[in-house]
Amino acid sequence: MAPFPITGRFVGDFVPHLVAVDTDDTMDEVAVKVAVHSVGRRIASPADFAGYDVLLNAEVLAPSATFGSVLAEKQVLPLQWFDVRFRAGVPGDA
Amino acid sequence: MLLNRDDWYETSRDLDWTLSYVDPEAAFPARWSGTEGIPADAWQAWDEPFRVSYRDYVRIQREKESGVKAVSNALVRAGIYEKLDPAHVAASHLHMGTTCMVEHMAVTMQSRFCRFAPTPRWRNLGVFGMLDETRHTQLDLRFSHDLLRADPRFDWAQKAFHTNEWGVLAVKNFFDDIMLSADCVEAALATSLTVEHGFTNIQFVALAADAMAAGDINWSNLLSSIQTDEARHAQQGFPTLQVLIEHDRERAQTALDVAFWRSTRLFQTLTGPAMDYYTPVEQRKMSFKEFMLEWIVNHHERILEDYGLKKPWYWDQFLHSLENGHHAMHLGTWFWRPTLFWKPNAGISKAERAWLNEKYPTWEENWGVLWDEIIENVKHDRLPATLPETLPSLCNLTQLPLGSAMSRHDLAPHQLVYSGRLYQFDSEISKWCFEQDPERYAGHQNVVDRFIGGQIVPPDLGGGLQWMGLTPDVMGDDVYGYAWAKDYTADDRAAAPVA
Repeated sequence: MAPFPITGRFVGDFVPHLVAVDTDDTMDEVAVKVAVHSVGRRIASPADFAGYDVLLNAEVLAPSATFGSVLAEKQVLPLQWFDVRFRAGVPGDA
Repeated sequence: MLLNRDDWYETSRDLDWTLSYVDPEAAFPARWSGTEGIPADAWQAWDEPFRVSYRDYVRIQREKESGVKAVSNALVRAGIYEKLDPAHVAASHLHMGTTCMVEHMAVTMQSRFCRFAPTPRWRNLGVFGMLDETRHTQLDLRFSHDLLRADPRFDWAQKAFHTNEWGVLAVKNFFDDIMLSADCVEAALATSLTVEHGFTNIQFVALAADAMAAGDINWSNLLSSIQTDEARHAQQGFPTLQVLIEHDRERAQTALDVAFWRSTRLFQTLTGPAMDYYTPVEQRKMSFKEFMLEWIVNHHERILEDYGLKKPWYWDQFLHSLENGHHAMHLGTWFWRPTLFWKPNAGISKAERAWLNEKYPTWEENWGVLWDEIIENVKHDRLPATLPETLPSLCNLTQLPLGSAMSRHDLAPHQLVYSGRLYQFDSEISKWCFEQDPERYAGHQNVVDRFIGGQIVPPDLGGGLQWMGLTPDVMGDDVYGYAWAKDYTADDRAAAPVA
């Protein structure tokens, strides 16, 4: 369990944020930590909300994967850019 | 019989001597003067058109000072400031806080021209530039001191550069880099030619016109008086460019291309919101983009053509940025308003929105939809949702937020790893600037770097505000107390684009 700073962009918003995640966080939890700075603030939540996807280098990460496991598998440096978007099937914005 | 000025001017201005007791390289180190690769006699071609004597200079400056002070004294006594639109007033807070100490930094830059410039002609003109910048600093301080009784934000004319306010840090970083750390040649190209001869027009001509229209005669008069000096001492850039082009064209092109982009980003931050959002809509003379196109873009294109240089490789991206960059900076500064020392105007009442749509055809799709969510929150008294809970990610060149150079549709990572560290940029252009001299920029810490480095304690927004020196008496909030949101009715989810 260790904090880690990432650059979190919610797709459709105009600015990414500094977000502190934890190595124990699942991707679903990472998504919420990124989305809270955009959704309901500058991005409207869709009526048929179905959760979020987290992407690293355009690849969707498994929702149950922990951030620590992503760190172990991929080259991730502090402030690495992660995208979060509304889960497929829901009209997001790009 | 007194000689005419033309009889003695060149003898006086060109006075120089051959060093015999000291190595010329020790007296004028190339890393300070910027003369590497340029033969010493090339500087004999350096010339300036103003031909100012010290006696003339003092007489003219005295007249200017008398004029500014007479207007200022009369208007302060008449209490004009108290009658100004509060949104316009925010523009003068922003200007004084971010500009006054830049004028003071420019005193140091000009004094380095006096000492280290490679020709006595340039050193001589640097003396006048140094006196100009001293005058500008004093004018700003005097103006702000007179109004301190009306608003403590004017204290930031002197205070801002002694705080860690994020916008001030970005401004300071830019001018530290191009005025205080650059050699004379680069400083002349980046500051004299690019910023002073080009971009200050937008701050000192466009903003002066808007200030006059808003009834702020005192500030408008001050800006115009400063601009008359800028027009003279900015001339140090052209002969420097001419000499450099003849000996190192590539260096000249790169220096100008870097300075032009960095200046664009700075003025998108300082002047764009003031012109397109803070100035009352009925008093706006031109949009920021229109002014940029007429006064900066055409002007810069002409200079490049006159000197046989190419347009920067990023020209199309720059033009796209003109549509978007200052809207991003405005939305960002308004949303992170507790981190400001002025009160921003949202500037999105329906009348203002119609103006924005007319001037910027892509505004609604790029920016309006984001404001719509904010409007919903304001309408339903969900103000905490209109405020930030973390920092935006910042660029490692401009120190401005990622995403604030283009539109949200263009937002993408621009990153590189240098010496094992990940660096991020607000655009492909800023990344390119960094790559021209990575060792120069790699150690510059933006606010996110400082936050992660443990400088901000406690590491939260409250700690950040305290670290930035923001106190409740100056902390930013919506200047009209969200009154503009009354324009939008309960079922008015999306303000109809009116353009």
